[in-house]
Amino acid sequence: MSTQNNPTEKIAAQPFMITREFAAPRELVWKAWTEPERMRQWFGPKGFTGTTVKLDLRPGGMLHSCLRSPDDKEMWGKWIFREVRPPELLVWVHSFSDKDGGITRHPLSPTWPLELLTETTFVERGAKTIVTLKWTPLNATDEEIKTFNNAHQGMTQGWGGTFEQLTEYLAKN
Amino acid sequence: MVKCSPRLLNRTFAALADPTRRRILEHLAQGDRCVTDLARPYSMSLPAVSKHLRVLENAGLIRRRRRGRVHSLKLEARPMQRALAWIEEYRKFWEESFDRLDQYLKQLQTKEKK
Repeated sequence: MSTQNNPTEKIAAQPFMITREFAAPRELVWKAWTEPERMRQWFGPKGFTGTTVKLDLRPGGMLHSCLRSPDDKEMWGKWIFREVRPPELLVWVHSFSDKDGGITRHPLSPTWPLELLTETTFVERGAKTIVTLKWTPLNATDEEIKTFNNAHQGMTQGWGGTFEQLTEYLAKN
Repeated sequence: MVKCSPRLLNRTFAALADPTRRRILEHLAQGDRCVTDLARPYSMSLPAVSKHLRVLENAGLIRRRRRGRVHSLKLEARPMQRALAWIEEYRKFWEESFDRLDQYLKQLQTKEKK
């Protein structure tokens, strides 16, 4: 590997980004993102059902919601809004939480960052809307940054063809 | 979501953090190998390779079979799959959410047209 981390330097967090184009006007995408009744129609992976117990859409305000997995496990999450600029920008601090709104660790990883700064932009392109979401660890320790970087860079950087070959192998076994 | 013990997952990730160990896994993905086969391409000593193999074994990523004096090594699919699934977990979270949002937005718009 050519990119070795210098142990004396603070590790740089590599943001996680995901972009999608939606065939809908920007106002509608914004509504779907910020109104609890609409949000529960789509937020969370397939098979999950969401409930928003609190939504205070303004800087400093909080969204507190629960996702229920297909096997009936509860996963609570908390967003603290930093910037609310309808219909183009939404910035919030994302964390796992308990049902009372206290910040908790990732259920599977003790070294996952407690807080992720989430910046979501909504860009109008004709009748379509491009949504880009960016996650960056906030106030994270080196170890947490490493966990975060490893998790999303695993497939693309520093791992060479390992994962492709392994994925092939795993598909056959 | 993927279910597995955080302790095992941490061991898996610790084992995967080393480039030499990842290369060993790559070799084993092509088929079972014995210890000397694995040492040769890196001109590594047998004890050095054995040390890496022990870490991989403890993480459940490989299994050792003894045929007389020859130890044959095999890649174990399941912990590897768990680790890969976890790595892709939050990308999947957003990808699947976006798929659902896409459908929901389409639904809304066909309703409005009616």
